[in-house]
Amino acid sequence: METGATTFHSIGTTTDWVVMVIYFIAVMLFGSYFGRYTKTTSDFFFGGRRFSWWLITMSIVATGVGSHSFVKYSAKGFQHGISSTMTYLNDWFFVPFFMFGWLPILVYSRIRSIPEYFEKRFSPSARFLATILLLLYMIGYIGIGFLTLGKAVIPMLPKAFVLFGITFPVTLMGAIIVIAIITGVYITFGGQTAVIFTDLLQGFILLFAGFALFFIGISYVGGFDSFWNLLPTEWKLPLADFNKPPGFNFVGIFWQDAIAGSIGFLFMNQGLIMRFLACKNVNEGRKAAAVNILFILPLSAIVVGNAGWIGKAISISSPSVVSPDTSPDQIFVVVANIVASPGIFGFIMAALTAALMSTVDTLINATAAIFINDVYRPMNRYLNSQGKGRIISDKAELVAARWASVAITSLGVIAVLAFKNFPTVYEAHGYFHSTLTPPLVVAIFFGVFWKRFSPAGVITTFVGGVALMIIGARYPAFFIAPFDHGIDMNPSRPYSYIRALYNTIACIGVGMLVTFTRDIQDRLIVKLKQRASSKIEMTILSILISLLMFLVIIGTGDIATDTLFTVLIVIVVPLLTVYFVEYKESEATKGLIASSIFDAKFMFKGSEPNDEVGEKIEVIFKIKDQDDSKIYFSKEDMKRMSAKSGDLVYLCDKRKWLGGLKSIHSVYGEPHNEEGIVYINQNQSETGLFSGGYLLIAEKEM
Amino acid sequence: MEYFSHSWLPFMYQYGLGGLLFIAGIIITIRSGSLNLNKTSHWRWFWTLIFGLVWYMCIHASLNLAGLGLVNFAFIIMGSVIIVSIFGAYWVLNHKID
Repeated sequence: METGATTFHSIGTTTDWVVMVIYFIAVMLFGSYFGRYTKTTSDFFFGGRRFSWWLITMSIVATGVGSHSFVKYSAKGFQHGISSTMTYLNDWFFVPFFMFGWLPILVYSRIRSIPEYFEKRFSPSARFLATILLLLYMIGYIGIGFLTLGKAVIPMLPKAFVLFGITFPVTLMGAIIVIAIITGVYITFGGQTAVIFTDLLQGFILLFAGFALFFIGISYVGGFDSFWNLLPTEWKLPLADFNKPPGFNFVGIFWQDAIAGSIGFLFMNQGLIMRFLACKNVNEGRKAAAVNILFILPLSAIVVGNAGWIGKAISISSPSVVSPDTSPDQIFVVVANIVASPGIFGFIMAALTAALMSTVDTLINATAAIFINDVYRPMNRYLNSQGKGRIISDKAELVAARWASVAITSLGVIAVLAFKNFPTVYEAHGYFHSTLTPPLVVAIFFGVFWKRFSPAGVITTFVGGVALMIIGARYPAFFIAPFDHGIDMNPSRPYSYIRALYNTIACIGVGMLVTFTRDIQDRLIVKLKQRASSKIEMTILSILISLLMFLVIIGTGDIATDTLFTVLIVIVVPLLTVYFVEYKESEATKGLIASSIFDAKFMFKGSEPNDEVGEKIEVIFKIKDQDDSKIYFSKEDMKRMSAKSGDLVYLCDKRKWLGGLKSIHSVYGEPHNEEGIVYINQNQSETGLFSGGYLLIAEKEM
Repeated sequence: MEYFSHSWLPFMYQYGLGGLLFIAGIIITIRSGSLNLNKTSHWRWFWTLIFGLVWYMCIHASLNLAGLGLVNFAFIIMGSVIIVSIFGAYWVLNHKID
C-alpha cells in the first residue's frame, strides 16, 4: 500500500470485496423481505405508525451515524482529535421543544409532511415556499450523502479498469452513479418498512463494526495508555478551540450544528420525522429520541471518529505507516486497512457504506413523501377543481411514489456537483446546514410556539430572510463580521460555520419585526381595501417585489442598493400577504401550536381524550364478519384498560422482538362478555399481519 | 490558564447559552401546558430532560479534565453522576403524581 501520498487507490483484497458483496446482497434481501409488508402509501412512507421505541432507536442509529458519516468525522478526528465528537454531543438543548411541542403536534394533527403543517397553520402559499425550501434541503442532503459514499469507496477502487479491451477511468462521479443505482433498488421497491428494518440490522452492525475497529486500533498502537499518551493535549480535549482555525472552531460549529443543525435534524429532517411518526404513539417517539440522544449518540461519536484518532496516534508513532499528510477524507479507509486483517476490513467497509446508504435511502424515501404530499396531491386536487383531474387510487400513488424515488435519486446525484469542490465533506455539510436550515427552522419554531406568528410573518421570514442571507453571503465582511466572535475570515470560504448565527438572527429578526407590527399592517390593508383600484395596485406591487427579489439574487454589485432592495422586500411582503391571504388566527392555530395540544388530541381522536391510566392486557383474537373498523373486547378487559367505547386502542403481537411490526390501531366498540377475547374483522387481521395461535397485547391509546 | 480557550471557555459558552435555551424550552412547554407536571408520565419526562442536560455537562467536564491530565477527577465525576442517576431513576420511577 502506498503511504505518504495524498490519496489512495486499490486498498483492500479480493477477500474484502467478497465480504462486501455478500454483505450487500444479504442487506438487500433483508430489506426486500420486509418490503412485502408495504401495501399502502402509509406503509411505504411511515411504516404504518406501529413500531416500538427500541426498534426506531436502533434504526435511527444507521440514519444518524450514516448522515454524520464515518468519513467526515474520522477526517476531523485526524486533523483535530477528540473534538470531532462535538457535533454528536450537543443535541439535547432543543429536546424539550421537540418532545413536548413539535412531535405531539405532528402526530396528533396527522400531518404527513412538514409543508403540510405550513398550509394548515398558515396558508397554501406558505406551504408552497416551505416545499421549495425543504426539497432543496433534502436533495442537498442526499447529494452530500452520495458525495460521502463516493469518497468512501474510491480508495478501494483501482484508478481504472479494462472491460472488452476498453479502459474506463474510475472517477468520483462515476462511482456515485453506480452507488445511486444500487441505493435506489430496495428503497424503490421496499419503502419505509424495508428501510426501518434494514436500518435496524445495520444499526447493530454499525456499532459493532465501529467498536471493533476502535479496539483493534487501540491494540495496534499498544493499548489505551499508549494511545492516550501519544495524542497531544489539544487532541484529547472534547471541544475545539473557541474561535480558531476558521475551518474548525468551537463557536462557529456551535451555531452551525448545535443550534441550526440540531433543530434542523430534529424538526425538519423529514427522514427522521418519519421514523418518529412510525412509532406506535407519541410516548414511544419520545423514548426513541431520548435513548438515541442520551446513550446512542455518545457511542456513535466514538464509532465514527475513532479511526481518525487512531490514525493520528499512528502518524505520531510511525509516520512511515500513516503519513501526517494523508488525505483526511481517506483516513478512515487507510486506518481500517492497516489495523484490520483481510475480510475484517471488508466487513468494516461494508458496514460503513451500508450505513451511508441507509441515510441516503431514508432521505430519498422522505423526499418522495414530500413530493407526493406537497406536489402530487395538491396538483391533482387543483386539476380536479378545474374538472381535468382524475381520482387517484392508493395503488397509483404508490407507483408515483416509486417513480418519485427514482427521480429524486437522480437529482441527488446531480446535487453532488455543488459540493464536490469543498475541501472536505465536513465543510460542505457545515456550509450547507448554515445556509439552508435557518428560514425553515425559525418558521417552524415560531409557528409552533408563538400564536401571533401569522402567514405574513412566515412568508416574510422565508422571502425576506433568504434575501438577508443572500446579501450576507455576498458581503460577509459587512453583515456577518459583527457576529464572528473573533474568527478570522477566510476570503475563499468566508465564515463557513458562524454564518449560521447571522442567518438565524436575520430570520428571527424578520419574523419578530413582522409579527410585532401586525396591527399596523392590518390597519393599512383595511384602509387600502377601501380603494377600488387596490387589487391592481397590489398585483403591480407583487410584480415589483418579485423583480427586486430577482435583483437581490443575481446581485446589483452595490451593497447599498442590495440592502435597500432587501429592506423594501421585508417591508412590502407582509403587506402583500395580509392583503392576499385570508387568515383566522383562532381556527388556524387550533391543535397546531404547543398551547393547544389538548385540542390536537381531541381532533386526533374525534372526541374527548381519555387519559385515565389503565393496564395492558393479553387477548386472543377471533375473526368476526363486521363492516365497521372497531374492535370488540369484554367488559372486564375494558375495565382493566380503563377504556370506554369510542376510545382509541393499539393491538399488537405479544412477541416483543417483533417491535410492533404485527399490530393495528383501532377504536373500541361496545363490549361483550367473553373475557380474554377480542373480535376483529378479516381486513384488520391482514393489516395487522396477525398469526393465529399467538397472544396479542392490547392497550388503550387515549 | 493553559488551554482555557480550548477547554473551559467553549464549555461555559455551550452550557451557558445552550442551558438558557434548554431552560427556555422547559419553561415554554410548561407554560403552554404541553408539558404538564401534574401527570406522572410528564413529571418523569421532566426529570429525564434535566438528567440529560446534567449527563452531557458531566461527559464534557470529565473529558476536559481527562484531556488536561486530571484523569482521576474525570472518573470521580462520571462515577458520581452514574451513581446519583441510578438512585434518581429509582426515585422517579417509583413516584406517582396522579
